[in-house]
Amino acid sequence: MNSRKIFSSTIVAALALFLAASASAQTFDVKTRMLKNGMKVLVQEDHTIPNVAVYIFYRVGSRNERPGTTGLSHFFEHMMFNGSKKYGPGEFDRTMEAAGGSNNAYTSHDLTVYQDWFPRSALDLIFDLEADRIENLSFDPEKIASERGVVASERRLRVEGSNFGLLNEQLWAAAYTAHTYQWPVVGWMVDIDNWTMEDLRHHFEMGYSPSNATMVVVGDVTPVEIFQLAEKKLEPIAAHAPPAKVTTREPDQLGERRVTVRKFAQLPILMVGYHVPEAAAPEYYALALLETIMLSGQSSRLYKRLVDKDQLALSINGGMDEALDPTLFEFTAQPKAGVDAAAVEKALYEELDRLKTELVSDQELEKARNIALAAFYRQMSTISGRANTLGAYEVFHGDYHKLFTATASYSQVTKEDLRSMAKKYFIEKNRTVATLIPESAEPAK
Amino acid sequence: MKRLLQILLFITAALSMAGTAGAQAAGTLKMPAYKKTRLKNGMTLLLMERHSVPLIGFQVIVRAGSAGDPEHKEGAAFMAASLLRKGTKTRNAEQFAAELDFIGGTFSSFANADSSEIAAEFVAKDAAKGLDLLSEALLHPAFPQDEFNKLLKQRIDGLKAAKDQAQGVIGAYYNAYLFGRHPYARPTTGDENSLAAITRDDAQKFYQAYYTPANTILAVAGDFSTADMEKMVAQKFEGWAARPAPAISVPEPAPVTGKRLLLIDKPDSTQTYFRIGNIGITRTNPDRLYIEVVNTLFGGRFTSMINSELRIKSGLTYGASSFFDRRKVRGPFAIATFTKNATTIQAIDKTLEVLRSLHEKSVTAEDLQSAKNYILGQFPPTVETSQQLAGLMAELEFYGLDDREINDMTAKINAMTLADAKRIIQQYYPQENLVFVLIGKASEIGDAVKKYASKMEVRSINDPGFGSYAASEGPYH
Repeated sequence: MNSRKIFSSTIVAALALFLAASASAQTFDVKTRMLKNGMKVLVQEDHTIPNVAVYIFYRVGSRNERPGTTGLSHFFEHMMFNGSKKYGPGEFDRTMEAAGGSNNAYTSHDLTVYQDWFPRSALDLIFDLEADRIENLSFDPEKIASERGVVASERRLRVEGSNFGLLNEQLWAAAYTAHTYQWPVVGWMVDIDNWTMEDLRHHFEMGYSPSNATMVVVGDVTPVEIFQLAEKKLEPIAAHAPPAKVTTREPDQLGERRVTVRKFAQLPILMVGYHVPEAAAPEYYALALLETIMLSGQSSRLYKRLVDKDQLALSINGGMDEALDPTLFEFTAQPKAGVDAAAVEKALYEELDRLKTELVSDQELEKARNIALAAFYRQMSTISGRANTLGAYEVFHGDYHKLFTATASYSQVTKEDLRSMAKKYFIEKNRTVATLIPESAEPAK
Repeated sequence: MKRLLQILLFITAALSMAGTAGAQAAGTLKMPAYKKTRLKNGMTLLLMERHSVPLIGFQVIVRAGSAGDPEHKEGAAFMAASLLRKGTKTRNAEQFAAELDFIGGTFSSFANADSSEIAAEFVAKDAAKGLDLLSEALLHPAFPQDEFNKLLKQRIDGLKAAKDQAQGVIGAYYNAYLFGRHPYARPTTGDENSLAAITRDDAQKFYQAYYTPANTILAVAGDFSTADMEKMVAQKFEGWAARPAPAISVPEPAPVTGKRLLLIDKPDSTQTYFRIGNIGITRTNPDRLYIEVVNTLFGGRFTSMINSELRIKSGLTYGASSFFDRRKVRGPFAIATFTKNATTIQAIDKTLEVLRSLHEKSVTAEDLQSAKNYILGQFPPTVETSQQLAGLMAELEFYGLDDREINDMTAKINAMTLADAKRIIQQYYPQENLVFVLIGKASEIGDAVKKYASKMEVRSINDPGFGSYAASEGPYH
């Protein structure tokens, strides 16, 4: 429930991947309105439960940051709950929960997303709360100090206290040399310690113009009432300049990069990342199907090979996040006790090479499409799933309608396309390998 | 990531909310209609039609869990449940996985302290195939030796990996220390010692003893016609021969008296993770709704007293919560959080202070109304999907509860008074008798935490197991 304020590059991702094959019967009516200040509002009416999900997507994330203030987007996301003009410190949450609502938020490389879940009786209040913080956020030095501690604790939980988190940070830092995906969404600890009030103000001005946001409302509402509320509460908020365009493109990688982490751990970890295009690129659907074939379920190629047959790894997972800029297609394996990470790595490459020489079977391709369709239904079965998915399509693919044509996009992918994707991207030159090597005890200090 | 946190960290809501559903105006919550039947062999069948999305959710509960594990064979129930899909009479593990994945189905099987369960979901058009897979796993598992060996090795390594992340294992240490020789002390997935001792026969024996029709509840919700589904289920399950199952005796655990502390030394820790609490309540405790209201205020939501003090006001932690894990007999109650090594004492002191303040100041009328609104307002989305509704039906049946759990909820919650809250606090929130379990860097925090308890124990995270739970070895505490 109140797991609020997370940083993540994986959440939005997983969805759209599988949003895949919407059957023709699975379109639903979405109404949209562009407010005069540039904020776009999407509404899907559904009275199954007396509740509403509101998701607000701001196109600002760690991608828009600079060295020295990494993690600022995520920190700012926390500050969005710490008081504004009408609702002072603590009032946002207190008021919302007292009206039966709850909320959360997450930050990724590309986005900062705010989520509200509430009974329809709280609808007016939610718009009031959201409008107030977008327009009138306060910057209280005391709140900044204590929230810094919260974020540091979150980083210790997810990075220092998690070998996977720690190694993944190193993988991305090594894979990117120019582009801003090189630093973690939560930020480096030293930057968390050093943000200033000015940095926060600047970030608010940069990222939080209404014109930089898309709002999605799904549930026990009518489009008419939502548009009226939006016109009344949100439209008067002035637009200002959106974030500067991120012009940096990561140069082509010219050779394998390897990074090692040595620390106290019970088992090693292997992570391999390949640069792949952004979500809006035409390659997206083929890569998503490849991900399913390689990684989805116990019949997937890598589970069968690494976990089941060769019994080299305890687990294998990965895939790619939906992203605005070229991202990483990742594989993460935990070798079993006594197994060298190199053995897992070798088997992984053999499976990737097989994709380049043999076509996948018709049956595998059909399975991947079926999995995508079932996952789509699951996503559509909750109001929050629909709100998140509509927003993700709107933001990453440029148009929520693409949700309804995803089936067609998947069915157009051929076995030959999959082979050429593998040949193009799963190559040595394009990969970064990160390995965690356990040390048996903490080194003396 | 978010979901991980929800499950590991903030179990409160999910655990304590019964769930309700259905299209209804904001007002009284009402259980949607469903049909309950009993097959001739004694199996219970629950069917709820819903046609919003073309999916069908299945929930199986077998009335036997890890509390029935033989001594020193902790994990047997879990192994049995995990092996259901790993080879059956007509399919080997690989075939099962291939057929399941081909139709985009999900299937997970696991054991809890009191039950063994399967949750599965299929696209409506694949209902027959899905039911075929489900019934095959439940009725005809073969427990192949090679699959057992593979799984066992994975569990043993998985346990090693789990100990790399304090957050994932603190619950096992806490339960072991809190419950002592009671069956709830045992780790459901086993430990390094028990997994070294478990054999394929232990898993199969557990299955043969307890997986009987009379012990089994099958709940189905989703896009089907009740008559058709009933017929399909009958065809698959009627041939399952009735047989008696032994009873698993799980006595009511006695709360711990006094204060005692267990410190698990994890030398690479930058934060201390801790739980403080005692024995809590059963799923059917008559005060359960009132306890849920009070716990919402104390540690069950973002603005709860505990999270306000430890996170919102002080920034000591990313999150702090309290929960009652409600079981057949009294399960654990805990306050849970974490903080950096240097603020360990500050955070524990603060936690105890909030607990004291709860007793001294109780809650206000405004708080009470807020918690009531919150529980009722957050309820409908917890039973929105077919899978959630199947889970709800099965859960109510398992605990001997009925529709009143949902239908009476609104009125009961609204009737709660400040005097009720006061009584709940006194009766269910321990103050003098507390168990403390910490995972952290002993060389930094070990001396300072001695002050919390008259009895303190230190273990290394590298020591096998989570404690000592064999009843035959005498009293523990």
